[in-house]
Amino acid sequence: MHLDWAILWGNPGLLILQGLLVTLQLSAWTLLLAFLIGLLVGVVRWLGFRVAEPFCWLYVEVARNTPPVVQILFWYFSASYLMPGWLFIGLRDVGYEFGAAVVALAIYHGAFIAEVVRAGLNSVPGSQFDAARALGLRFRQSLLRILAPQAVRIALPPFVNEATSIVKNTSLAMAIGVTELTYQYKHIDSFLFRGVEALAAVTVIYLMLCLVIAGLGHLLSKRLSKHVARRDPPLALTSE
Amino acid sequence: MEFERVWTAANWERLLVGDLLNQGVLGGLLLTLLLGGAAIVFSTVLGAIVGTMRSASWRTISIISAVYVQTFRNVPLLILVFWAYFFPSVFGLQLSKFASVLVALTLFTSAYIAEIVSGGIRSVGRGQIEAGRALGLSPFEVRLWIVLPQAFFNMLPALAGRYVVAIKNTSLAFLIGLADLTEIGKQIGARLMTAPIEVYLTLLMIYFVVNRCLSMLLRALEDRHRFNRVFMRI
Repeated sequence: MHLDWAILWGNPGLLILQGLLVTLQLSAWTLLLAFLIGLLVGVVRWLGFRVAEPFCWLYVEVARNTPPVVQILFWYFSASYLMPGWLFIGLRDVGYEFGAAVVALAIYHGAFIAEVVRAGLNSVPGSQFDAARALGLRFRQSLLRILAPQAVRIALPPFVNEATSIVKNTSLAMAIGVTELTYQYKHIDSFLFRGVEALAAVTVIYLMLCLVIAGLGHLLSKRLSKHVARRDPPLALTSE
Repeated sequence: MEFERVWTAANWERLLVGDLLNQGVLGGLLLTLLLGGAAIVFSTVLGAIVGTMRSASWRTISIISAVYVQTFRNVPLLILVFWAYFFPSVFGLQLSKFASVLVALTLFTSAYIAEIVSGGIRSVGRGQIEAGRALGLSPFEVRLWIVLPQAFFNMLPALAGRYVVAIKNTSLAFLIGLADLTEIGKQIGARLMTAPIEVYLTLLMIYFVVNRCLSMLLRALEDRHRFNRVFMRI
């Protein structure tokens, strides 16, 4: 098998870079939207509003138990039926693949982030909240100043996992033709016949993106729990 | 909503078993379940091995395990599917579409399961290991008979979550042209043309029911006393 790595400096390399840019944009928008959804639903579920609770439960369960790629297809193909006509006709010409992918992935990951937020808030003893209220802090103050800083420490590692998961799942957007990294690999494979080189390059890019996010998250969570006593070192099964 | 256009007997048959009954290939939900079930079994075995390697006293082995986990966890599954479809051809082999999705899904899921297993092993108290060693069991026996059974119950909730993700991830098979549930749904949607909402809601519903049933089944195992009574006759 003949491999020609130099082609990555030419046109295929440019395509991959374009793909990387789209992947980054897709990830950033998805992360932002998913975080907002997750924060809202997570806090509402933690508060336990009688009226909103069943809807939030249904949303989280349905979004978590169905494949993200089917959700992407659903939002993409039903867009013309769900949107008002004038909006669809306006969007049709500029393309709404990107928007559909962002919405679908944000709804999917929002459900996971909602659970992360709820678990983080639940991990703080309820007495902390009561004490804050008893000391005269307002509801919002006790949530933001007392509960949130403690919950963030618990919720950060799973949240970072979700962020890497979002980067990986943006690859599913190729199913509806968003020109992100995986799409560009398929393109190079189909039209320029340089599949192996492109696939290797794309794999390395994804690997580095995810490792960088995970590394940054690790640094941040170490920093946040500096003041907390260290846990026992991991147990080694030795055969002395 | 015109679900009756989607929910015809012929469509249900294709969604559930593909063209199996018409001398065609097996597909639909049955293929999804076969793929998911096989991936779950293989990745649990592989994940248990790699996860146990993580706590090995020999440093090389634990580093190999860590590299395995970090590599396969941080690459999209779709990319692994392309590699599996493609890489064996370097050696003149060609995996079938089913096999390549299965290989990729197994590698991807086993990396997560290895993390769960190594965490589960760490959650078993040090006293248990020392007691096992003091009773004269070898390190391997301690691992197999003392640590893993106790770790199993600590791992179950996380494992259940991973299994559901594995079933969801089988839906990528349609991207390389396997006739799984998603692909059949897409075909029905393409033929009806004007009922995407109904078609994809049906798909989401089927996946939802399957995954809820799976997680409810695994939740029933979490009660270790009932588990022992039923499976271990204790």
